[in-house]
Amino acid sequence: MAYAIQVLIDALSLGSFYALAALGIGLLFGVLRLINFAHGDFITIGAYALIIPSAATQATLFIGDFAPIVLIPCIVAIVVIVALISEVTVFRPLRSASPATLMIGSFALGFILQNLIIMIYSGRPKAVGMWSDLSAGVKLMEGVEVPQLQLIIISATLIMLTSLVLFLKRTKYGIHMRAAAEDFRMARMLGVKANRVIMLAVAISGMLAAAVSMLFVVQTGILDFRMGLPLMLFAFIATVIGGMGSLVGAVVGGYTVGAVSILLQTFLPSEFRAFRDVFVFAFVIVILLLRPQGLVMSRSAKERV
Amino acid sequence: MQPKSAGAELLREFWPLIVLSIGLTLVVVVIQLIGDNITSRTLTEALIRMVVVVSLYIFIGNSGIISFGHIGFMMIGAYGTAWQTMDPMIKDIFIPGLPGFMLDYSSHWILATLAGGLLAALVALISGYALMRLSGIVASIGTFALFMSFYSFYLQWSTWTAGQSTLPNLPVTTTPWVGLAFSLVTMLVAFLYARSRFGLALRASREDEVAAKAAGVNVTFQRLIAFTISAFFCGMAGGLYGHFLGLLTVDTFYLPVTFITLAMLVVGGMQSLSGAVVGTLVISFLIEFLRKFEAGFDIGGVILDLPSSSAEVGLGLVLLLILIFRPAGLTRNAEFYWPWKPKVALATFSKRQS
Amino acid sequence: MLLDVKDIHVHYGRLAALRGISISIEEGEIACIVGPNGAGKSTTLLAISAVLKPTEGAISFNGQALAGMSPEQVAEMGISQVPEGRHIFTALSVEENLHVGAAVRKDKDKIRKDFERVLETFPILAERRKQSAGKLSGGEQQMLAIGRSLMTSPRLMTIDEPSLGLAPKIVDRVYEVLVDLQRTRGLTLLIVEQSAERALKAADTIYVLRSGEIQLRGKAAELQDGKAVHQAYFGFSQPGKVEF
Repeated sequence: MAYAIQVLIDALSLGSFYALAALGIGLLFGVLRLINFAHGDFITIGAYALIIPSAATQATLFIGDFAPIVLIPCIVAIVVIVALISEVTVFRPLRSASPATLMIGSFALGFILQNLIIMIYSGRPKAVGMWSDLSAGVKLMEGVEVPQLQLIIISATLIMLTSLVLFLKRTKYGIHMRAAAEDFRMARMLGVKANRVIMLAVAISGMLAAAVSMLFVVQTGILDFRMGLPLMLFAFIATVIGGMGSLVGAVVGGYTVGAVSILLQTFLPSEFRAFRDVFVFAFVIVILLLRPQGLVMSRSAKERV
Repeated sequence: MQPKSAGAELLREFWPLIVLSIGLTLVVVVIQLIGDNITSRTLTEALIRMVVVVSLYIFIGNSGIISFGHIGFMMIGAYGTAWQTMDPMIKDIFIPGLPGFMLDYSSHWILATLAGGLLAALVALISGYALMRLSGIVASIGTFALFMSFYSFYLQWSTWTAGQSTLPNLPVTTTPWVGLAFSLVTMLVAFLYARSRFGLALRASREDEVAAKAAGVNVTFQRLIAFTISAFFCGMAGGLYGHFLGLLTVDTFYLPVTFITLAMLVVGGMQSLSGAVVGTLVISFLIEFLRKFEAGFDIGGVILDLPSSSAEVGLGLVLLLILIFRPAGLTRNAEFYWPWKPKVALATFSKRQS
Repeated sequence: MLLDVKDIHVHYGRLAALRGISISIEEGEIACIVGPNGAGKSTTLLAISAVLKPTEGAISFNGQALAGMSPEQVAEMGISQVPEGRHIFTALSVEENLHVGAAVRKDKDKIRKDFERVLETFPILAERRKQSAGKLSGGEQQMLAIGRSLMTSPRLMTIDEPSLGLAPKIVDRVYEVLVDLQRTRGLTLLIVEQSAERALKAADTIYVLRSGEIQLRGKAAELQDGKAVHQAYFGFSQPGKVEF
């Protein structure tokens, strides 16, 4: 029983990462029809912004040393600024291009960002010690002890998800964004300012990326210029199995992928554990074969024939 | 200038292939004559990449689906070839997990390369059977997932691949002429495939999937054909690559190569063979040029040098500029037909965006 | 003259969809563009809403040129389109759809008043205000689209094929509403219709569009026998009584 709770917390914690990342992807896909291959690199930038640029393998904290009340807005601001610059310089000029072109464009952007990071911080992985006391255990009940950090990840994610839902359902701009995501042209004809809505979506996507980056660094303690890639891949996968164009689907997909990953890790025989990721992908392929439109049906994703 | 005889008709049909082949051969001849060892190596690498990019064209150009996964096939072919050409004693040390008959087995590099390609094709056939049902962006994400899973699999599979370490002592058999030969063959196959009814059917699905299905095209099947053929050549390119470097690491087949080869195709023009060839040559040249800047240029006493990774950033910027200003690539998605008038069948002709 | 469309040409790639269209609409009137499929009627409305850019010619509204404006700016100027197929935001509720219509406006009190007024004009919307808009029937969606357009507080409302896909009785009701809007609010309407009969009944001015060109323009009152309209619409005249 205690073991089951540990596994559950693990699954929720990992799922939260993927859900947040998937949401960032899903938001931009919904509004812009863009699969943002640079999202992983937005996450990476948020992480690297915590340290002082150097080639050292033991990183010295820069912003990472600030008090959380300053640190968090700083990192969020940095990632959001990078995201907004990307929107203006890359996504906007490609606004009328095909989804494939948009995708390649974001792929190019991601490549550029990755190499800029290598340029500034060197390609060597770095160790980062931040907020290490968060890995201390918290006793939930008899025999169940989980790292504080996991609980923080889960609750932070829930808070962010709730805020996002409230924003989308209750505020004027949230409603405009949902309208634009469904029918961009019609929204414009009603006077919804296209660029403003898009900038907003990009900014929120950036905020989500920043959140993932901070939580990820605290949990793993390692910085690597490629760290965003697996996260981004799982985010894509979560979005796809959840149903493209559905934000709820992205979240559901994220927690599903997290759960499957943890379950595989727990129950796979030890020789296969290293290949856990391969099994996750196989699982995804099976889902896509059985239900290509994703787990959550989304009206807007249906193509009119 | 309309041809009249059957011979001239044939010439006109194959003109793009003829021009590209002759042109490429000339480039190789010239560079071999005037260049040194270093340029020779750069040329070989470019020709190996050409095989990859033309394979990418076979799939991406005709299906319209962006594949991020083909470097995975390159890797499968590379290791598949290496398993056959490596000295058995070395295999025993580095990759003892290989099944007994493979450990002792040794074959000529040409046969090994073909077998490596076939292995990649087989994997493509199996994985494609599932993936090719997907369309558009979702399919692309699927290829990305496939790529990452191959990569992580090979990274972990250390008893067969040496995992994170390097597999050394591969015989170095890939010369520029080998590269040229393989490039020409790949180009021929690409050209013939595009001209065939399979290529046509696939392109129909690229333009309008629903209409193609309604016209009786089995879209999944057609995609699978292109996917498998392209994986075959990519796999062989991998074999060539391993025997160019003389060693193999799983890490070689990750994101940078994926990006560079995709960039080569897009910059040249995704939907044309000429685009694949032109793009490869242009980008190869560009990368060399930028690398020289990275190393430092002495201009009249002033050292001009860019930080490392500038070449990559520059490449990314070039790709972005092409996407924004010339999305159909340098060749505008058209084949090279001058001085004949082009036939409509091979090129999407009307300056459409990619 | 509220809307002045002068000799516009619109191209889709190399295909000429509109070849020199001129339309002028006075404030407070109902104008109707009729024509067969593919004539360029929707294209005309899209050009007016700045979704498509004319390759030649000029459009001005209330004396101001619309050249170079974005669709959002045109909406701000007071032109609102109810497009073909309604384009309801199915992911949003009825209420939310109406609120999106208020995107161009800033006056909170007036917005609320207009919102109430729309619900009065279309009681079915009031009934279903919290429901997802995707659940409405075709006719109800049409009402919602019109109501949403009203929320922008337009001076000119353009409507593309209000009868599309709707049962005749519902279409009657839609046209009742439209004529009523003109009467009670002084709203100027530009309606695109396939049915010449409906157009002749509802409009003050008729334009017949065929193959990208205006074939006929005149006062509906004078065209009631339908002969001239038939000729312009189909390209040949029908002997005897005209029935569409």
